[in-house]
Amino acid sequence: MSGVWIISEKRRQSLELLNIGRQLADKMGTHAAALLYHDREHAEDCVSHGADEVMLLPPLAGEEPAESRIPAIAEEAKKGDPDLILLSATPRGKNMAALLAARLNVGLVSSCTQIDYDEGSKTLVMERLAYGGAAVQKVVCSARPAMATIPPRTYETAMPKSGRQGNIRELPSPSSSAIKVIERKVKAKEAKDISEARVVVCVGRGMEKEEDLTIARQLAEAVSGSIGCTRPIAEELHWLPEELCIGLSGIQVKPDLYLGIGVSGQVQHVTGIRNAKVIAAVNKDENAPIFKASDFGIVGDLYDVVPKLISELKK
Amino acid sequence: MPTVIACFKWVIDEAYIRRGPSGDLDFSSVDYKIGEYDRNAIEEAVRLKEASGAKAIAVTVGMPEAAKGVKDALSRGIDEAYFIADSSFGNLDSSQTALILTEVIRSRIEHYDVILCGEGSSDLYAQQVGPRLAEQLGIPCISFVQKLSLAKDQLVAERRVDEGIEVITAPLPALVTVLPDINVPRIPGVKDTLMAGKKPTAKIIKDDLPPLSEPLVRTISLTSSRMERSCERFGTDAAEIARFVGSLRKKGVIG
Ligand SMILES: Cc1cc2nc3c(=O)[nH]c(=O)nc-3n(C[C@H](O)[C@H](O)[C@H](O)COP(=O)(O)OP(=O)(O)OC[C@H]3O[C@@H](n4cnc5c(N)ncnc54)[C@H](O)[C@@H]3O)c2cc1C
Ligand SMILES: Nc1ncnc2c1ncn2[C@@H]1O[C@H](COP(=O)(O)O)[C@@H](O)[C@H]1O
Repeated sequence: MSGVWIISEKRRQSLELLNIGRQLADKMGTHAAALLYHDREHAEDCVSHGADEVMLLPPLAGEEPAESRIPAIAEEAKKGDPDLILLSATPRGKNMAALLAARLNVGLVSSCTQIDYDEGSKTLVMERLAYGGAAVQKVVCSARPAMATIPPRTYETAMPKSGRQGNIRELPSPSSSAIKVIERKVKAKEAKDISEARVVVCVGRGMEKEEDLTIARQLAEAVSGSIGCTRPIAEELHWLPEELCIGLSGIQVKPDLYLGIGVSGQVQHVTGIRNAKVIAAVNKDENAPIFKASDFGIVGDLYDVVPKLISELKK
Repeated sequence: MPTVIACFKWVIDEAYIRRGPSGDLDFSSVDYKIGEYDRNAIEEAVRLKEASGAKAIAVTVGMPEAAKGVKDALSRGIDEAYFIADSSFGNLDSSQTALILTEVIRSRIEHYDVILCGEGSSDLYAQQVGPRLAEQLGIPCISFVQKLSLAKDQLVAERRVDEGIEVITAPLPALVTVLPDINVPRIPGVKDTLMAGKKPTAKIIKDDLPPLSEPLVRTISLTSSRMERSCERFGTDAAEIARFVGSLRKKGVIG
């Protein structure tokens, strides 16, 4: 047995994984399979988007965490012996992938940004970032199956094709986990997706108070841009949702213009803006690392500079 | 009295890595540090110790130079350390590190209640030593935790998942990986640093361990990803602001 497996719980992510999964399966001369969580409609969707086979896991009882699916998935993987298993690099995807890799005792390439199959040597070569994004690390997995998590939006979603056939089957019920979920707090609102924004105004910790986000919003409006932020703004201060955090542990953006205000420009953040056409920054510290990563930099206090920028932009 | 173990890694400070002439990595002027998020793991161990009278142990696998990191961890309020050192331990993959930690924790630390790891190491950021260690020890793993408390035989944790937050209970012992917003790591004072020298450290060498496993992820190359930018500077007076906006317009990136 062999194959490329994707494991996913969200429609969009499964279709992204199927895109790269199907391409690799074709190159490797094997089939593509999707392992999904109890959604028939989604299963058929995966078939039309390239899955030759769909495995459905039954729903979980209320208190059971996603982890209670690990034993069933591991069993199936031992039986099916896939060449490669792909998951999305979301919090749950990363957690499930690490637990599954541990259970199978195989390598896992986290936050993999590129996968190539070398037909000559029949090896999968994967790329990821190391040292906060300062380095690109090329790796190979030395045990079967190879595993990787892929950040959402690394690949486009697969194209559907009518008339595709696939086998859909149910897997056994999940086991009971020692961990129990006693409460679920769902996020208030989904943030706007900024991974495709043309202009991004990024707020860093140089901003003193949450109320001051208003001036960042005014600036964003003046350049018809969207707001993004650094990790401390999202995660320590909780001023903006986590989906707007740009960088190694957040999202990658590729705007025409990135404008950072009060952003120091540590490598973990700059990694997320590498594909911006123009990088500009306002920071009061002339030695801030962001200036080495910028095309245009203003050395100054954002509270002085941003209002001036807004009025100049309105001219 | 509960026992809490914090796992940390002594890593290269990535801010000092330069791009070499042929796109290679220039490590010639680097400094080292305890991984950013491992400081949160250490702080959480010390916080639990202060809340419940626990003993806080730190464990690290690394090169002999990581002795500095052990002292740093002890100065942050940790009571005792296990230092597993060898000059070949600089480039282990996550599975090898997890196996070494498993071996040492299993054979030398008789009783423990909670193992804390960072969300990810600052250099590899593979985010898997914790889950692998838990799996090998046969204990539950709760990843990406932003709030943690210990009750009698269980822990209660708030963890981040895709949809928001889940509040989890797990029996002890358990392993937890922590997010940076769980706490604010303390900065050790002079007295803490002096005290650190007097605390016990068990040093474990390669010969004390079973033979090292093969890596499951092999690195075939490591190159610099830094990009050159034009780095033009502007001042803050009206003319400079106008020149800045003009430059953006000329590039065609704003209307
Ligand atoms: C494994 C790992 C992953 C990470 N992932 C990410 C990630 O995905 N995204 C991310 O952003 N970070 C990430 N980080 C954190 C990163 O290293 C930095 O700590 C973070 O980016 C810093 O955010 P900041 O620039 O907002 O804050 P700071 O570093 O505190 O910088 C604030 C800046 O504002 C300037 N400033 C202050 N006041 C003013 C003023 N009035 N006017 C103008 N400028 C002012 C200061 O000079 C300073 O440069 C990660 C770290 C690690 C270890
Ligand atoms: N060499 C090491 N020694 C001790 N703990 C480690 C080591 N490497 C990683 N860890 C722990 O495992 C976590 C995840 O590491 P990683 O899987 O490399 O991202 C880190 O935050 C540490 O808590």
